[in-house]
Amino acid sequence: MKQLPLHGVRVADFSWIIAGPTATRHLALMGAEAIKVGSARRPDPSTRGSAFHVYNQSKKYAALNLSQRRGRELALDLVAQCDVVVENYAAGVFERLGLGYEVLSKVRPDLVMIASSGTGHTGPDRDYVAYGSLLQHYTGWNSISGYPDSEPIKGGLWADPWVGMELAMITVAALNHRLVAGKGQYVDYSMAEALSASLPEALLDFQMNGNEPVPMGNRDRNFAPHGVYRCAGDDRWIAVEVHTTEQWRGLCGVIGRADMSADSDLDTPEGREAREDELDRAISDWTSEIEDAEAFQILQNAGVPCGLSLDMGRLSADPQLNEGGYLREIEYPDGSERVLPTLPWRFDGRADLQLGPAPELGRDSAYVYSELLGLGDGEIESLVEERVIY
Amino acid sequence: MESQSEKSNGLLGGVRVLDVGEGVSGPYAARTLAWLGADVVKVESAEGDLSRRMGPFPDGVPHPEKSALFLALNAGKRGVALDLDSVEGRCRFLNLAADAQIVVDNHAPGWLDERGIGYEDLTAVRDDVILCQITPFGDWGPYAEYDAGDLSLFQMSANAHGILGPVEDPNSEPAIRAGGYQAEQVAGMAAATSTLTALFAARMSGRGCHIVVSAFEAMATQAIAGLSNIAFGGESPTRNLAEVREASIGGQVSAIGGVLPCSDGFVAISPREDAQWARWLELMGNPDWSEDPKFATRDARQKNAGELWLLLSEWTSQRSKQDIAREGQRRRIPCFPVNTVKDLMTDPHLEDRRFFVPIEHPVAGELRYPGVPYKLSETNLPLGRLPAPTLGQHNDEVLP
Repeated sequence: MKQLPLHGVRVADFSWIIAGPTATRHLALMGAEAIKVGSARRPDPSTRGSAFHVYNQSKKYAALNLSQRRGRELALDLVAQCDVVVENYAAGVFERLGLGYEVLSKVRPDLVMIASSGTGHTGPDRDYVAYGSLLQHYTGWNSISGYPDSEPIKGGLWADPWVGMELAMITVAALNHRLVAGKGQYVDYSMAEALSASLPEALLDFQMNGNEPVPMGNRDRNFAPHGVYRCAGDDRWIAVEVHTTEQWRGLCGVIGRADMSADSDLDTPEGREAREDELDRAISDWTSEIEDAEAFQILQNAGVPCGLSLDMGRLSADPQLNEGGYLREIEYPDGSERVLPTLPWRFDGRADLQLGPAPELGRDSAYVYSELLGLGDGEIESLVEERVIY
Repeated sequence: MESQSEKSNGLLGGVRVLDVGEGVSGPYAARTLAWLGADVVKVESAEGDLSRRMGPFPDGVPHPEKSALFLALNAGKRGVALDLDSVEGRCRFLNLAADAQIVVDNHAPGWLDERGIGYEDLTAVRDDVILCQITPFGDWGPYAEYDAGDLSLFQMSANAHGILGPVEDPNSEPAIRAGGYQAEQVAGMAAATSTLTALFAARMSGRGCHIVVSAFEAMATQAIAGLSNIAFGGESPTRNLAEVREASIGGQVSAIGGVLPCSDGFVAISPREDAQWARWLELMGNPDWSEDPKFATRDARQKNAGELWLLLSEWTSQRSKQDIAREGQRRRIPCFPVNTVKDLMTDPHLEDRRFFVPIEHPVAGELRYPGVPYKLSETNLPLGRLPAPTLGQHNDEVLP
């Protein structure tokens, strides 16, 4: 029988908002049983938006009030039956609740615990109050995006989804270690460091040459032409990037510039870069007369790497994402269906994804307290009344 | 007491990985595994990895052993040079593959098969092998044959739309990507995540698998919040400044926050909640204008953001970014200095967490490399601290 790759892994997900839930979403889609734990006392802020449905798809959701002593005891009972704990509160919050790694690893010695925060759990700035978008400024990202001499922009990808995937990666790495060594692990993760780590060439360039990065818009230090060109229609553009001489010849053929193709000065990236403005005009002359989707097909058929400049609505309608199986219909309990994103890889020869809707708070409380923890109906009722299961 | 050798094996001790790819995404994935403790062997042609020619270089002079990009993406690995187009090269590669549980590649789909080292060939020498192939669009769907690099991936996945923020004329200013090669790195991260999951499954079941990663889908996964919004009837965020109701923290100040000029650069602040805003005013010494109803609520501040920007700038531009951030954070206000690359290199917090890792390279010399954003209780990462290999450096040592 084909099994999901993370079949048998149980995750207690105490995380909230975006980055932590995004990590456990990846694990849940690949077959882990991810049990989200939260309380109506302090609801997950992301519940307010529709993105909650994608951050928490395929999970279970139990209500538990950690501000009560009995709630914290139940948390320990749950952790004792889990392989992984994920939390992303500000540094120190989970420890002050009495749920630090030292305590949790006593009830579950081989526990893998992931603790993610803005600047990590050690160091002089560990208590800095952070939002992901502020971290993008803090970590050097805005020095690489935009145009020279322009005001700083946020720069880089949105921090939280990036971090979410990396958290899933390090969780699975630690699970691998546990299989072999029989031991768990505490992982102290810094979102800020994740972002700075993605700028290695800039950090080395500074040491080699004293250079601060100069933002280049859509251009590139290694390749030319490399730009986004206006197409027919309102706010329609196409990205074109030439990495090889072969692609350059293909592009010249498409835009009808045999003269440029024959110009040996343009055979190297350096030669093309020196005349990039001229090449950009030649490409725009062709793209501005044609619709972006058509330009995309023609250029791709000529072997030129290119891409449409899509907004979110057009992305969600993209044929590749829909026909290729990345966007999938998820059925909700009321019978409605939503087309939601899944995962960007396929495991050949393994079972499909675990697909399900995001749960509502408390939907799986009965499963957790009765089935997993073995509490009686009477006890569960009084815990609900006392707002422990809440 | 656990022995030092066990600790130094990392999370992936004893796992051999062949890194066949070049450029960014494949080598990034393999370096991630290397720094987690895997024994990664990089396989290059006689010409060497593309990134050896990409720079930046010391003094701007190209040198195959001194590319900053290559050095960073290939640290922690050993390296061999092999002609995979020759019968002998293929043979030596398959001998090597017999000892490798993982193979990572990011060449065009079909590249491995054409050389007789595709998934079928690999399983013939090792039946539990995990092959992870990073492709632009996957080997499925209408775009299976198409090609895309970092720029196209940024633009196609709607991520470029959010970088610059709204503009005055969307028909004269295109969306822009981030600098560097973040889209390629995201594809590499997807490869590392799926590969480690497959390794876990293989250890449970004894069976390997063939993974195909779509870089386009990996970048779409950075946009899942927006895709969910659309699925639930939301609208695409506009690129037209005139249509913006509430801006995010971009260049301009809004009720959410913004970037303000300082005496030595910029500071990014976000006192968005009323209590945070009150503490921010206190930090500024409760200026007289703060009692004006124009700035009393988040909605009012949003309406009068332009005026607010001038008032805040006047105060911040007389102070340093570090002073404002330190004093602000002491009052629990979300605010951070806008760091330059130089600032990062001397940051005391990063220093305390030993984020930068000094690595000595035989040709490029000693440099401080950004390490990994995770600290593990049982393992000191990153492991090995091997420099990137020179071309063919370990042929004698590694090749059978």
